[in-house]
Amino acid sequence: MEKGEHTIDRPAEIGEEVVVRIQGLKKAFGKNEVLRGFNMDVHKGENVMVLGKSGSGKSVLIKCIIGLLAPDAGIVEVLGQDMLALKHEALDEMRVRIGFLFQSNALYDSMTVRENLEFPMRRHFVKLGAAERHDRVMQALADVSLEQTVDLMPSELSGGMRKRIGLARTLIMRPEIVLYDEPTTGLDPITGREIVELMLDLQREYGISSILISHDLNVAKLAANRVIVLHEGIAHAQGTFDELMHSTDPVVRRFFYSL
Amino acid sequence: MARSQPIRAFVEEVGDIASFTGRFFREVFRPRFEWAELFRQSFINGYRSLPLVAVTAFIMGLVLTVQSRPTLERFGAESMLPLMVAISVVREIGPVITALICAGKIGSSIGAELGSMKVTEQIDAMEVSGTNPFKYLVVTRVVSTTLMVPVLVVFADAIAIYASYIGVNIKGSVSWTLFHQQVFDSLVFADFVPAFIKSFFFGFAIGIVGCYKGFNTKKGTEGVGQASHSSVVVASLVIFFIDLIAVQITDILGYN
Repeated sequence: MEKGEHTIDRPAEIGEEVVVRIQGLKKAFGKNEVLRGFNMDVHKGENVMVLGKSGSGKSVLIKCIIGLLAPDAGIVEVLGQDMLALKHEALDEMRVRIGFLFQSNALYDSMTVRENLEFPMRRHFVKLGAAERHDRVMQALADVSLEQTVDLMPSELSGGMRKRIGLARTLIMRPEIVLYDEPTTGLDPITGREIVELMLDLQREYGISSILISHDLNVAKLAANRVIVLHEGIAHAQGTFDELMHSTDPVVRRFFYSL
Repeated sequence: MARSQPIRAFVEEVGDIASFTGRFFREVFRPRFEWAELFRQSFINGYRSLPLVAVTAFIMGLVLTVQSRPTLERFGAESMLPLMVAISVVREIGPVITALICAGKIGSSIGAELGSMKVTEQIDAMEVSGTNPFKYLVVTRVVSTTLMVPVLVVFADAIAIYASYIGVNIKGSVSWTLFHQQVFDSLVFADFVPAFIKSFFFGFAIGIVGCYKGFNTKKGTEGVGQASHSSVVVASLVIFFIDLIAVQITDILGYN
C-alpha cells in the first residue's frame, strides 16, 4: 500500500451534514467571467479538492467563500449561515470558524512566530490568560513540530517552516472548515508531501472539513475524498481521484494526462 | 479620448481617496478600539521622529536667524530679529517643514509597510482571521499621525526658537532673558493657535494618504515602491494645499 493512500477514501468519516453549499456562483472582473454558475457541496469531515489550471478561478472561488470577494450572483452557505448576508461582527465571528491557509502563508512579517499565533486569539479569545495563550501557542507549534521557532521572525524561517507556521496559525483557532489555497506550491515534492500529511493528521485530530484548491495532482491523490474539476467557470466534473483518473471526458483527461 | 485618460484617472483617484476618508470617519467611532496598536503607532510616529525633527528644526531656526540678520541690519531693525524668527517659525515654517519631514519619514513608511502587507496577502490574512484590517491598520495610523504631528510641531517650534537664540549670539550678545522677553512679549495666541490647528490637518493628510496608497497597492514589489514614493509626493502636495486654505481662513477671520 502506497503511503498516504489510506487518506483517499474514508467514507466512514464523512458525515451527511452539508457544511458548505455553493449554488450558481458567478463572479466577473470587467468582461472576464471567471465563475459562471459554480455549484459545490462539502460534507462534514470531507476533503474536497478543486482542480483547475492557473487563472481558472480557483482562488476567486475560495475568496468568495470567505468573503474577501463579493460574488455577482449565487448562494454561499457555510455551516448553515448565508455568508453574503453577514456584516461586520457577525462576519468576523463566522470567519473564526473558517480557517484559511494562504498560498504565500501571509505571516505577519513584523511579528514573531508567537505574536503571529497569538494575534487571532487576542481578538477572539479575550478571556484567555497569558499562561493559557502560551500553552495554546506551544501546542499549535508542537502539532507542526516547530516549538523551537516560537521567538523567531518569519524572515528567519525556510519556506516549508513558514508553511507549517501558517498551518499552525490557521488551526490554533480550532476552525470547523479550512480553505487551503495551493498548499504545496513553491515547495519541493518531499516538503509538499510532508505538508499534506500534516494537514491530514491535524484534520483527523480536530475533525475538520476542508476545501483545497490546487493544480497539483499529487495533492489530489493524497488528500482529496472528492475532486471537482473547475473548467470555464463551472464544476465541469467531479468524483474520486480514481474515477476522474479513468474518465473519458477530454477536459478531465487533459488534467490527468501528465500523471 | 487618450488625452482625457489622465484627467479621468486623477478624478477617479480623488474620488477613491474621498471614499477612503469617508470610511475612516465611519470606522473611527465604531468599537472595537485598537488602543494597543494606537499607542504603538504613536510611539513609532511620534517618539521615533523626535531626533529627525529636532535636527531639522535646529538647523531651520539657526539658518533663518543668520540669513535674516543682514536684511534687518540694513533697516536698523536688528533688535527685531528674535521676534521675526519666532513669528516665522510659529506661524508657518515650523508647521510646514515639520509636516514635510513627517510626510517623508512617516508617510513613506506607512505606504511601504501597508503596501508590502497588501501584496503579501497579510491584510487579507488579517481579514479572514476575523480582524477588521481597516480599523487595525488604517484607523490607528491615521489617528496617531493626526495627534503626533501637532506635538512634533510644538517641539520643533521650541527647538527652532532656541536655535535662533544661538544664531542671534553668533554675531551679537543677547541674554536668554532678553531674547525670551522679546519673543514672548510679541507672540500672541493668534500666532500659535491657527498654526497648531492646521498641523492636525497636516497629520491627518499624511496618515490618510500613506494608508490609502499602501492599502491600494497593486503590481507586487514594484507597487510597494510606488506606494511609498507617491505617499510622500501626494501628502506633500496636500500639505501645501491645506496651508493655502488655512491662510485664507485665518485672513478672513482677521488673524493675519
